[in-house]
Amino acid sequence: MKNQTVKKIDMQKVIIFGILILLLIFFSFANPTFRRYTTFLSLMGYTYYIAFMAIGVTFPLLTGGVDLSIGTGLICYALTGGYLVVYKGWPVWLGLLVAVLFGVVIGLFNGFAVAVLDLPPFLATLCTCMITRGLGSICSNGTGVPWPNGNANGAWFRSLFRLKINDFTIPIGIIWVVLAVFLMTLLLNHTKVGRYILAIGSNKEAARLCGINVVAYQISAYVISGFFAGLAGIAFAASFATIQPGLGAGFELDAIGAAIIGGVSTAGGYGTVTGTILGVLVISLLKTGLPYVGLQANWQQIIIGIVLISAIMIDIIRNKRARAS
Amino acid sequence: MKKRLLAGVLTAVMAVGMLAGCGSSDDKNSKKGGDSSEKLSFEIVSKGFQSTYWQAVYKGAKAKADELGVEINMVGPNTESDVADQVQMLNSAINANPPAIGFASLDTEACMDAIQSAMDSNIPIIGFDSGVPDAPEGAVYANASTDNYKAGQVAAEGMYKGIKDKIGNGQVRIGEVNQDATSESITQRGLGFIDKMIELLKADGFKVCVTGNDYYVGKAKGADGKEADADVIIEVAVPAETTTSSCQQVAEPVLQKADTIAVFGSNQVSAEGIVNANDTLKVCGPDKIVAVGFDSGSVLKAAVKDKTLYGAVTQAPVSIGEHMVQLLYDAANGKDVKDVDTGCQWYNSENIDSEEIAQNLYD
Repeated sequence: MKNQTVKKIDMQKVIIFGILILLLIFFSFANPTFRRYTTFLSLMGYTYYIAFMAIGVTFPLLTGGVDLSIGTGLICYALTGGYLVVYKGWPVWLGLLVAVLFGVVIGLFNGFAVAVLDLPPFLATLCTCMITRGLGSICSNGTGVPWPNGNANGAWFRSLFRLKINDFTIPIGIIWVVLAVFLMTLLLNHTKVGRYILAIGSNKEAARLCGINVVAYQISAYVISGFFAGLAGIAFAASFATIQPGLGAGFELDAIGAAIIGGVSTAGGYGTVTGTILGVLVISLLKTGLPYVGLQANWQQIIIGIVLISAIMIDIIRNKRARAS
Repeated sequence: MKKRLLAGVLTAVMAVGMLAGCGSSDDKNSKKGGDSSEKLSFEIVSKGFQSTYWQAVYKGAKAKADELGVEINMVGPNTESDVADQVQMLNSAINANPPAIGFASLDTEACMDAIQSAMDSNIPIIGFDSGVPDAPEGAVYANASTDNYKAGQVAAEGMYKGIKDKIGNGQVRIGEVNQDATSESITQRGLGFIDKMIELLKADGFKVCVTGNDYYVGKAKGADGKEADADVIIEVAVPAETTTSSCQQVAEPVLQKADTIAVFGSNQVSAEGIVNANDTLKVCGPDKIVAVGFDSGSVLKAAVKDKTLYGAVTQAPVSIGEHMVQLLYDAANGKDVKDVDTGCQWYNSENIDSEEIAQNLYD
């Protein structure tokens, strides 16, 4: 039975990979400009922040929870860090650090609310979603924040994701995403933290009875999610010109959707980081590619919604089978 | 368990939609008015606080309020998509029973009931920025606003100088990125640009065709060509969400078309989307695509200065705020009030630092 489950998860990955290739071929033939290197560059720009969010949110999802605060969170962290850099003259590295630490703090708060106070995850993180949205506006004094750009002092941080050598741009952000996927896969499959998070997701009560410190490991899942939301904030700041307060609601759905497309179970207990990243590519490819084939914006949302429904259906069928066997 | 979780997620998603963005009020002056003979206190419901633009409006309003010795309480939703939030804010403003309300509606249709109750309580409404289009007769006493249709025309005229010589040798394309197809200010600006551009092109004997977003295609006046035989195609792109990233996503395909010679972003967010897309594409600038923006902000100002943007149109947000408070004051005192066109200006790398322009640009 175990072998079968493993096979099915891999099957879903193969299917998604196939879909990715098909999408690429379709968009490339539908509009030749899609094949350009610059399209690939901007595709990566949209991918980084969704990727970090999705890698992070995979962990609360695996515990059977969810983290809805990552979307507004990432904007809040980027606004706060950026505000300190642009308007208070802090060095950029410190602003970046603030963004990540802010994410970790909110993650801790989420973890505490879920694991200790026993709030339902979607409610707890929905509250932090609203809180971070308000906080973002307050921390940035209600104004948009243009992180340093072009030749400005401190614009170097954009090269962390988009390295420009003469006139050639290399999307080196890919390195960080790949590194994150590698490290988090390692963490998930080969460390106590990862195995226990999975165990909690499959059966929280059983995990508790086995002597696992459920509270601590649940909190750690949300901290990971918060940490990656902080990284997503940095990626967003590096890829886009200005950050406006009030944005971010709905971003989390791209990330959660990506994780689910990638085979992370909505009930918790199984899923992989590599699957999640494939899901991210499907979402960002759809979002970037559909305008190239001349589809009006509203159709994009409908199509992404349909893709999500299909992924959830696969999850439901898989769960039923697992229970039956 | 699983079903419950799914239900939970769905509930959460809906709740996010409903609850998102209840905040963002400016609580500096929360004293309600109309209840005493002390200072007059006006309620102002704006379209947002998200861009520095609204901050400039607030600056003008606050300055005028201080000058007249009145108080203002200005609120606005988090983003310009939060129509429901704004309705709620308008209702609270009416409940405070102020001597007059300043209002810039996102969607007049949605605010109809609230506007009616303001009329029933005899509270004058003063429209500002894009005002309150299609409001029932007698509700809005006067507007302090940019004539957005005119502002769009100014953008078209400014752009036309830069592209005139590129038209006539085979089909060319002019792109327009509009943040949405619902708000009055954006649609008026978008249509003002399209109509004026068609007029200018036809005067020079060119055939024009409008494609893209159905709303704009349907409303554009005077297009006489088909996509196959037109000299100029005006392509209108509207993103799914009103964010810079979303605007960038629809701008990129347009910028990459081989026949594109010009592009117009009709507000700060969409113009920033174009500038950001150009960051990697490098297709805008002198002797390349003529890009025109709207409003300002540090990103657009820098782009105009280094000629990535051929030019842009700025409104006069400070003046909008000032005129609005003056109108509120006059209306509250029973004076006759009339619409004020607060004006707009074309700016480019040459006049951006002039005093006349600089006072209306903001970071």
